[in-house]
Amino acid sequence: MNNKLIINYTPGPTMMHKLTGFTKVFLFAVMSAAIISTFDIRLLVPLLIINVIEIVSMKPDYKPIVVMFAITFVTVTLVGNIMLFFVSPGVGLTNVGAEHVIWRISDKLYLSKEFLWYIFVFFIKRTASFASVIAFALATTPSEFASGLNKCGLNYKICTIVSLAYRTIPDIANDFINIRNSMMMRGVELSKKASVGKRLKNTVLILVPLIFTAFGKVGNIANAMDLRGYGKHKKRTWYAEHEKTRWDPVIRALTVLLLALTLYYIIRYRIIDPYPVDYWCPWVPREEIQQTNAIDTLFIIKWIKRLKGE
Amino acid sequence: MSNKNVGKSLVGVWNTKTIVAVAIGAALFGVLMNYGGIPVFTNTSLTTAMIVPVVVGAMYGALPAAVAAGVGNVIADLIGGWGLWFDWSIGNLCAACFVGLGAYMLMNRFSTKNVVIYIVLCVLGNGLAFGVVTPILTAVFYGSELNVTFIQAIYGSLSNILVEVVVGLPVLYLLSKRTAARTNLEEE
Amino acid sequence: MKEPIISFKNFGFRYKQQKNPTLFDIDLDIYPGEKILILGASGSGKTTLCNCINGLIPFSYEGEITGTCTVNGTETSSASIFRLSDSVGTVLQDTDAQFVGLSVGEDIAFSMENDMVPRAEMLPVIEKNASMVGMQDFIGHVPFNLSGGQKQKVAIAGVFGNDVEILIFDEPLASLDPQMGMTAVELIDDISKETGKTVIIIEHRLEDVLHRHVDRIILMSAGRIVADMSPDDLLRSSLLSEYGIREPLYLTAMKYAGCSLDDNNLCDLDALELSSDNKERLKAFFTEEREAVKENTNEPVVTFSDVSYSYDSRKKVLRDISFEIRRGERIAIIGRNGAGKSTAAKLLCGIIRPDAGTIMLEGTDTSTLSVKEIGEKVGYVMQDPNTMIVKDIIKDEVGLALEIRSIPQDEAERRINTALETCGLYRMRNWPVDSISYGQKKRVTVASMMAIEPDIFVLDEPTAGQDYHSYTEIMKFVNTLNREYGKTILFITHDMHLAIENTDRAIVFSDGELIASDRVFSVLADPDVISRASLKQTSLYTLAVKLGLDPESTIRHFIEYEREVESLE
Repeated sequence: MNNKLIINYTPGPTMMHKLTGFTKVFLFAVMSAAIISTFDIRLLVPLLIINVIEIVSMKPDYKPIVVMFAITFVTVTLVGNIMLFFVSPGVGLTNVGAEHVIWRISDKLYLSKEFLWYIFVFFIKRTASFASVIAFALATTPSEFASGLNKCGLNYKICTIVSLAYRTIPDIANDFINIRNSMMMRGVELSKKASVGKRLKNTVLILVPLIFTAFGKVGNIANAMDLRGYGKHKKRTWYAEHEKTRWDPVIRALTVLLLALTLYYIIRYRIIDPYPVDYWCPWVPREEIQQTNAIDTLFIIKWIKRLKGE
Repeated sequence: MSNKNVGKSLVGVWNTKTIVAVAIGAALFGVLMNYGGIPVFTNTSLTTAMIVPVVVGAMYGALPAAVAAGVGNVIADLIGGWGLWFDWSIGNLCAACFVGLGAYMLMNRFSTKNVVIYIVLCVLGNGLAFGVVTPILTAVFYGSELNVTFIQAIYGSLSNILVEVVVGLPVLYLLSKRTAARTNLEEE
Repeated sequence: MKEPIISFKNFGFRYKQQKNPTLFDIDLDIYPGEKILILGASGSGKTTLCNCINGLIPFSYEGEITGTCTVNGTETSSASIFRLSDSVGTVLQDTDAQFVGLSVGEDIAFSMENDMVPRAEMLPVIEKNASMVGMQDFIGHVPFNLSGGQKQKVAIAGVFGNDVEILIFDEPLASLDPQMGMTAVELIDDISKETGKTVIIIEHRLEDVLHRHVDRIILMSAGRIVADMSPDDLLRSSLLSEYGIREPLYLTAMKYAGCSLDDNNLCDLDALELSSDNKERLKAFFTEEREAVKENTNEPVVTFSDVSYSYDSRKKVLRDISFEIRRGERIAIIGRNGAGKSTAAKLLCGIIRPDAGTIMLEGTDTSTLSVKEIGEKVGYVMQDPNTMIVKDIIKDEVGLALEIRSIPQDEAERRINTALETCGLYRMRNWPVDSISYGQKKRVTVASMMAIEPDIFVLDEPTAGQDYHSYTEIMKFVNTLNREYGKTILFITHDMHLAIENTDRAIVFSDGELIASDRVFSVLADPDVISRASLKQTSLYTLAVKLGLDPESTIRHFIEYEREVESLE
């Protein structure tokens, strides 16, 4: 309950905030594609820096961002990495192409330099992705999000779903809290005092009124929209898609450049002449890379092989 | 089911009401994802957000359920600061399609046969989504180690199936009871 | 002779899911520029009638239409809703649902967006329409911080987007506090005068609408038009009580005093020309010695001592609140939205805990009690019954809390039956919850609280959105709880009729402070409290001023007389 939601309903004062919805959605889409396309630290770090600059330029309230980063992000990654260490310590070999063991616990459990490199690069990739989401969420109001998506070619009915969802989130969050409180007063136990089975059962008692209250509004909202001509034409205009600022053409041009570079990178380095492994690593020269089949490391495959072998 | 009904149960009827309902479903998904966890162990919780495709599916069909879960998942990630996880959002969308279909059929007639079909569709949908779709996307998008992804997928599927069956069935039962038309009520 | 802009000829409508028609034999002509009030209790068909004008019927609601309805020369049964929305603008009852945009400007622009108007052309129209309703300084604001009244103004500006000729207001007062309601009635009147548009208001709160002039009143009941007359004639007739409409308070007072109702301008208290005979009768009535309402001297059950609370450390929502509530009292907790009344209720229920100060509940400090334990002493009934009801069958819903608490079968049975009988639901106990009316659902939620056997009930806006019949029904059994079971009742409410007729004392909040805790008649006679709590002066107050009497004692006399009549019944 302590996590605050990042929703920016009113446009902020900085250059990033003032861009049009289309520019922001376009930038975000290309940025996500660029981050997804590569595992190369030499490209991921610049991408991360661009997003951090964007965030800093908006002079946000850092507290919720830091809290989110610390709690939701680091714990998820940390738990994943610890799990990874126990399940597949050889991940360095498959993804980086070499193995320099620095700490051997047993035959199956060891720590290699490449394992650490792998989790480091992976962390940078996820962080870049996280930063791009935060930058987008901070800069874009839900209405700009919806109108920008429509400008990008998405059907306007889907875009209305996005903006209407944002419109109803605060109300539903309120209803949820009120309903939960009233159920607690009636004696419904939801904390760890009750067993997991009991808690699941008790959740039904909150969800049913919440569902009825939330979906009970469908008719009224739909009437209000129909009465004002929603769905009259195949297209619609958007109040939220305001006129371009000085910076819009600049950012759009840079986004197009980023898109071109991403496509070039994918075609040149991932299709025509792919690097033998996913992760470039400074101390593993290309000619020394050992290639392994990632599928072979799956424990299901290992089990099958072992069954066959024995 | 006639052909028309099959179409309706899969695609739904996309009028303004459906649009609004899907939007509300997506919002509910966002709220439940961020507030509606049931604590199980420290740092682990079952998310009740998976009830959304069940409910939207029951009332409007499989595709609306999938869109509500897909859009809802993206919004939940954006507002909760989780970072976008397309691999899981698309997985959720696929699972929601199956779950929504099962719920729609169950809503038509709450029979033992349909309950079984619903449970089978939940297992099938989650298995397919998180056992095949998400791991492939994870490998392509993020290059994660697949063993870990599978472990997370198995946990995710099991907790989703648990919520969809243990919470979803009673909710569906009450929903079908409470929305059914009544006649012949007499005071006693 | 002018042509009617709306014309119903032998019109009827039946919803697809229903066996019987909702509207029968409607013959009605409305002329351009008229201002009409369509009056009727819930279920009288008044909203259905308007949905036939704006095209929601048959666009959104399938059914069978008989006869004809022509709007602005178009036969509605064959016209598309989009064509009708060009000439008819509808402001819905639920102003929150109507607000689909994420800012004031965006919501006003909604119909233009759908019409594919380029953004540059929208801006001047938004500016113009927003200033017409006085919202020009709020164009960038988000809906979440707006009051109900402001949302309604935006809705009005929003339907003006397509320059309509007919404006329909569906229960415009339902979600507003008394002051905002008064402003809304004035705004509607100003628009009707300035633009000359045809205005149709649907309401059951006659007195509030009559704050400004209306040309004609159409009274509906059970799907038929039962009267079509001027406001004065309607007030003189016996139709109001016959069809379950609450008459204006000053009219009730005149009837109590035995006045004749032949005076001119009966519908407008300010312009009302009271005959000298009527004046004498009223003066005599308001000065007659009467038995004073007894003061409650029981022991206190709730004590707030210097309670403060803030949601975040910056702004305090409640500052140093102290008050006492005695056993068996009926209290109205009054204040505008955000004044702190809901926060006080949440503190009492233990959902939130005070930053400073103590709250005593029947002699126990609530900081030592869990929410569940407080829930056994205080029953909190939320405004919307749908936010509370889980189960399918009434009896199961009432017994839910007992099931959770594992109360033994026979004891649970006894408590459920008592609760059901008190709330008048026993004969319906095996009915499904969704087959009963909104007011009955409300009683189910109270009954489910009663089964826990708390001593104190907190009712959040129990009469919001209820017509007179349902209001009386709810109040009757709440008063039974109070009189026969000695329960203490706290109403969180804007409803001034409720405060006058059913409470002993009012506790008034404004900006996080307690500004009054006094007998209802004193509070309602204090202009400062009235404006700070977003109430409005009752017509009794105006009547007292008109007669040159002291408002406080006038209101007190009225209340005492009503209690006397009540106790004789």
